[in-house]
Amino acid sequence: MSVVENNGAYPENWEPKIIAFCCHWCTYTGADLAGLNRMNYPANVRVLRIPCSGRMNPQYVIEALNKGCDGVLVCGCHPGDCHYVTGNYYARRRMLIFKRLLEYEGLEPERFQVRWISGAEAGKFRDTVMSVVEQVRALGPLNLTREIPAFELPRIPDDEDAFNAVPEEVTA
Amino acid sequence: MTAQDTIRARAKELLESGEVATFIGWEAGRFANQTTPLVITDAADADKLVFDEYCVNTLAKYVRDVVSRGKVGLVVRGCDSRGIIRLVTDKVIKREDVYLIGVGCPGMKDRKTGELLKKCAECRHNNPLEFDEMAGDAVEKPAAAERFAEVAEVEAMAQADRSRYFESVYAKCIRCYACRDVCPCCTCRECFVDARRENWVGKQNNVAENRFYGLTRVMHIGDRCIECGECERACPMDLPLMKLNRKVIQDMNDLFGEFESALSLEDTTEPLIEYRLDDVEEFM
Ligand code: SF4
Ligand code: SF4
Ligand code: SF4
Repeated sequence: MSVVENNGAYPENWEPKIIAFCCHWCTYTGADLAGLNRMNYPANVRVLRIPCSGRMNPQYVIEALNKGCDGVLVCGCHPGDCHYVTGNYYARRRMLIFKRLLEYEGLEPERFQVRWISGAEAGKFRDTVMSVVEQVRALGPLNLTREIPAFELPRIPDDEDAFNAVPEEVTA
Repeated sequence: MTAQDTIRARAKELLESGEVATFIGWEAGRFANQTTPLVITDAADADKLVFDEYCVNTLAKYVRDVVSRGKVGLVVRGCDSRGIIRLVTDKVIKREDVYLIGVGCPGMKDRKTGELLKKCAECRHNNPLEFDEMAGDAVEKPAAAERFAEVAEVEAMAQADRSRYFESVYAKCIRCYACRDVCPCCTCRECFVDARRENWVGKQNNVAENRFYGLTRVMHIGDRCIECGECERACPMDLPLMKLNRKVIQDMNDLFGEFESALSLEDTTEPLIEYRLDDVEEFM
């Protein structure tokens, strides 16, 4: 999805913008704990709370990337620890498929990551965020095409095209 | 008696006896080698029905539109019958709502070139899998092309090329939603693209919104896609939609075990609404 030619053409003070969708019961609490423990982690990450990783809608990821995020992180409870018992098992299957689909379409694997982080793992939260930010920083900004490229605009059909479009058996 | 004669005769009987309220088949189109789907309610119209090698439309989806009038009779080939299985499994219709006249399918042709349609060349089940009676015998068809060949081609491309390739694909989409309208899996009462208040997807026709639509559609039909290829055939802009559908199907086969959607009413495997405790773990 990103176009490589632009590498190097971004401002020097560019900072990656990462959005982290965190499960309310584990990772969000883990992030809270990281704060309580006064751990330092980069401010590039914006944490958004979701009720459960099972609530993670693939559309959120596409929207985030479309709207200008350079990377997306999805975090939930470890399998077996889901507050709703099975939410993250469903999420695991969906995200396995969805991650492969995005990579198939050309997204770098580092830009969309999923991690299980429990409420006690403040350190893992900090380390994950730091590594994602560094990986995305190394890749540079996500350069998605958003508008229809001008050269792709089809020619507007004229009368002759309309005539040619009619099958031969009618015009003959 | 040809299959077409049997279909006409049985459609007439079914409508006359009142066993079905509507009957769905194909009629001759305006041009040679062309047919269009036909819905009839009057037995006198049964002689309009045709069955030849240019019946390209899959009929299952039409059932949803007319089922409120009563039982629906229709002609089913492999793809139509799997579409019906899909609709029944998704609880859009009940099995008793339809009367299925099965017909073996030799593969349909493109009316412009006379060649086998792409979707038919890729089809793995040309004879009906679910029917109430057969009009004629099951038939043979050239063996299907390798199921995931197209996917492997794209996967072989470099990351940057794939990115550019799919951006050019989405740049072509005009968001007519024909791919959704023909799909037997796309039966939501309100599709996310029509949900005006939620406004999931913007109305602009640009690469970003087109990508949003395209990816969401693939994830929605995901484990239910019957690989009928109707979406790709119906697309006026020739988007290679099966390359996306089959990518997801291939990954599900690799990760969660072999499966094929809608092969019978009993086997309703849908990998994305199931899970196993020992699924592949990549997110530790
Ligand atoms: S049928 Fe083709 S052009 Fe129309 S919305 Fe679907 S992909 Fe886009
Ligand atoms: S091949 Fe296309 S039309 Fe057919 S079930 Fe799959 S998504 Fe729907
Ligand atoms: S695209 Fe999604 S929401 Fe729309 S009809 Fe298909 S499955 Fe339903």
